Order: sequence, then structure tokens, then C-alpha cells
Amino acid sequence: MIISSSKPFSEILDMLMDKESVFIIGCSVCAAKQHVGGEPEVEEMSSNIKDAGVNVIGGVVAKAACSVRSREYLEELAPKIKDADAVLVMACGSGTSNIARFVDVDVYPANNTESLGAMAGDKIIHHLCAMCGQCTIAEFGGVCPTAQCPKELLNGPCGGSMDGKCEVDPEKDCAWELIYERLERIGRLDLLDEVRDAKDRLVK
Amino acid sequence: MLSTFNDALNSDRFIVTAEVAPPKGTDISATLEDADLIRGWVDAINITDNQHAVMRMSPVVVGKLLMDAGHEVIVQFTCRDRNRLALQSDILAASVLGIRNLCVMTGDYPTKGDHVGAKPVYDLDSVQLLSLITKMMDGHDMAGNELAGAPSFTIGAVSNTEAARRMQMIKLKKKIDAGAQFIQTQAVYDVEGFGEFMDSFTHPDVPVIAGIIPLRSAGMARFMNGNVPGIRVGDELISRMEDAEDPVQEGLEIAAESIRELRKMCRGVHMMPIGGNSNTPKLLEMAGISALQ
Ligand code: SF4
Ligand code: SF4
Repeated sequence: MIISSSKPFSEILDMLMDKESVFIIGCSVCAAKQHVGGEPEVEEMSSNIKDAGVNVIGGVVAKAACSVRSREYLEELAPKIKDADAVLVMACGSGTSNIARFVDVDVYPANNTESLGAMAGDKIIHHLCAMCGQCTIAEFGGVCPTAQCPKELLNGPCGGSMDGKCEVDPEKDCAWELIYERLERIGRLDLLDEVRDAKDRLVK
Repeated sequence: MLSTFNDALNSDRFIVTAEVAPPKGTDISATLEDADLIRGWVDAINITDNQHAVMRMSPVVVGKLLMDAGHEVIVQFTCRDRNRLALQSDILAASVLGIRNLCVMTGDYPTKGDHVGAKPVYDLDSVQLLSLITKMMDGHDMAGNELAGAPSFTIGAVSNTEAARRMQMIKLKKKIDAGAQFIQTQAVYDVEGFGEFMDSFTHPDVPVIAGIIPLRSAGMARFMNGNVPGIRVGDELISRMEDAEDPVQEGLEIAAESIRELRKMCRGVHMMPIGGNSNTPKLLEMAGISALQ
């Protein structure tokens, strides 16, 4: 799941201040699950923007912002979008970018896209994959250091972890602590002895 | 003639290294003065690389300046600020400037320093960087291209000293397999714990140089316990610091006692005093280590 959070409302309002007809598009996949782009959030956003004195001409929740496939599809879904001079997208960055391919007015993001992660109930788990394009996660027992270690270290921890927590964010477990625990649990500590070569950073 | 750090490693002498920081700005005088304080006392001077992610002058250049002033240097290379192209360029540059020793480490994250928004690079990790330097010394760059003139270095790495941190110990072994010829450690206050580290160290032939940071106050000790990974100052030392009339002197006493003990356990000590080396010769004398010839 793509993890996003809402931008502060004041930032959204600043972007839309001089617009006359704003159209809002949500997304019923990741953004809806995280309550940053589903039906209720699109409605709430619409009324908040109107209350702040900016005209909103409509809103819709796309099945998935990232799989909207054409301008015609979008206009069929939401005919009013033709009259908009700005589109506010309540989805992740890729959803927002995809929508921008099909509309000829300013497209604004309502969310900040943060990582590829998961949700356990309401709890968001960040940074499970960094989309490196060469998956070697099995070498680490399914805990990816490219994604979970801020230094992307492939051969073991830095000297900065303290009490099992990460140097960069003491709220977070050190990725290498998790890797060790997991490999110990599945009886694959042998995987740790291998020297891992640097990845080619071909995918950007 | 000045003997090299490699000569010292190959001798049976107890080794002393010490840290000197490059300047923040173009005025090199304080760095040269700090190095001069320990002239004749140390086998080599480590020059830090944007230590704690605080921007300072390039350690390669400072290394050259200190060599010109007659010092043997170990230039530190972190993985934080340069991708594989820039690292290799600087490794070649260090070699052509006559620098003979490198010490490789991951590097503190940019958010720890004074440019918190800097892009963290970490294109290679410390094990991969050691392998790369080894490969360059064999005459090839990372992509396998032949070098017109191969660099030659004595290369080292760093380690914490907690034997119980098994993952750290596995990584240390990888560093040595990748070519590390000496190990400089985080500051040691728990000599017994250090003994356990040495016992579980898989390469008794690789010289270990134990880190020393003289305490300056009980508050500093408590701060390090809470904030500096890999450092553990025991309660007994903290109360000694608390009760001391002259805490700086007491910190030196404690460090001298540690050095005397460490001398029996490892190949040398690495001085990393807070605020410069003004007390380093005095401390070494207190520990019974005499100046070099
Ligand atoms: S190795 Fe890590 S970052 Fe790369 S694809 Fe696999 S999980 Fe994602
Ligand atoms: S503490 Fe662990 S997770 Fe954090 S940067 Fe260091 S190795 Fe990576």
C-alpha cells in the first residue's frame, strides 16, 4: 500500500486561493483506506474549501486514481470536470500524476506521499519497500534494509543503533535488529555471513 | 626518517593514534596546532571526515597539509557524502598526494549534523567500500576498468566493542574479510566488556586499537551513556567523577588506568579527546607511554 498523509489545510488553501472552480478527485484504494481520499474525506474537503470562500464545483472518488485510463473515462465519471480550472487530487503522488495526464488545468496534490508500506488495523507501517527494482528481500528474511534502514546498509548495522533502535529515529527499530531476529526465528542466520554487493542504482 | 603507520602495525610496539578535526573555514592554523601538540607522541593522526555530519574541510586535503608538516596521517572516509564515482576519485587523489592510510566508516546520518537537509548518499556501505579499495589496489575500478596506476594504502575500519551485539560482530568479520588491516574502536570505559569483545573477535592477527575519550565531568559520562551508541560508562566511574575535586584530572586518571589495562589486551589506543589534544601527551605519560624517538 502507498502511504500518504494529508497536507495541512492551510497549504491546500494557499494553492487554490485564486481558483474559481475547483474539482476534487479522491481514490478508493490506498488513500481511502488511510482516510485521506475516500468519500467522507472528499466531502469534508469540499465543504471546508467552500467555507474558506473558494468555489468547488464537484467531487468524485475514482476507483483507483492510478488506473484512470483516459480523459473520456474521467469525463464520463465526472462530467463537471470539464468546467474546472483546478483539480485537487486526494490520492498518492502517482495517482495525482496519472490524473494530470488527462486534464489540461492545474492539478494540485492534497496529500504528501511518504512510502510503500502496510496497514495493520489503523496502524500504518512505513517503508517496507523502496522500489529498488532488483528485489533481494529473501537474503534478509523478508525485512528489506534498502527500505527500512535509512542508510540502506546491506552488510549489517551502522554503529549508531542504540538499544535496538535506529540512530535516525529512536522511535523506530533498527532494521538490522529486525533482520537478525527474523533470521534467527526461521533458522537462517547463515544468510548473514554472505557479503552483499552494492546494488546498481539503475531504476529511478 | 618518519616511519609509516604500517611500520608501526608491523612492529611489536604499543600503537598510539589520535584524532584531529579539519577546520570549518579556510583557516587551517588550529588544526596544525592541534597536530603539533602530539608531534612525536603518536604513530598516526586520524583526520575526521565531516564528523558527526558537521561540514568541515576535506580530510584528504588536510591529510596532505599535515603530511607536509611532517605527520603520518590516517584519512577517514565515510559513506555518507559521496557516491561510488566521488569515492573513487578521492581515493585516487589521496593516493597521489602521498596519503598512505585510510580508515573507512559508515558515517553519522545528516540529521545528526549541521546540514540536516543534506541528501544522504550511502551508495556503498563500509564493507563494500573496503572491498572497493582492495579492488582499486589490485588495479581496477569498481566497474572493472583498468587503472593507469593503482593506489596503495593500509586500510582500516571501525567497530563498537560490545560482544553481545552479534550482528556488529558479524559485520566486523566482513570488514576484515573485505580487507581491513586494522580496527579502531569506539571509546572504551568498560575494560572487562572490552576483554569479552577481544575474546569473541575472530581475527586475533588484526591489530585492534581501542578508543579513548577522557571524561571531563560526571555529566559528560551520563550524557554519553544516554546518547552515544556503543559507549557505556559504569556507575563506579561516574561516582569517581562526581566526587573528584578536579574532574578533568580525574578523567585523565581514569583514562590512564584504562590504557594500562588495555595495553595487555590489544595493540594500541586511539585518542579522541573532546576539544583537542592539549592533554594527550600528559595522559600518555600518566599511562606510562613514552614519546616516540
Ligand atoms: S529489495 Fe527491498 S526495496 Fe528492492 S524491491 Fe525488494 S523490498 Fe523493495
Ligand atoms: S541504526 Fe540500524 S536502521 Fe538505523 S541507520 Fe543504522 S543500521 Fe540502519
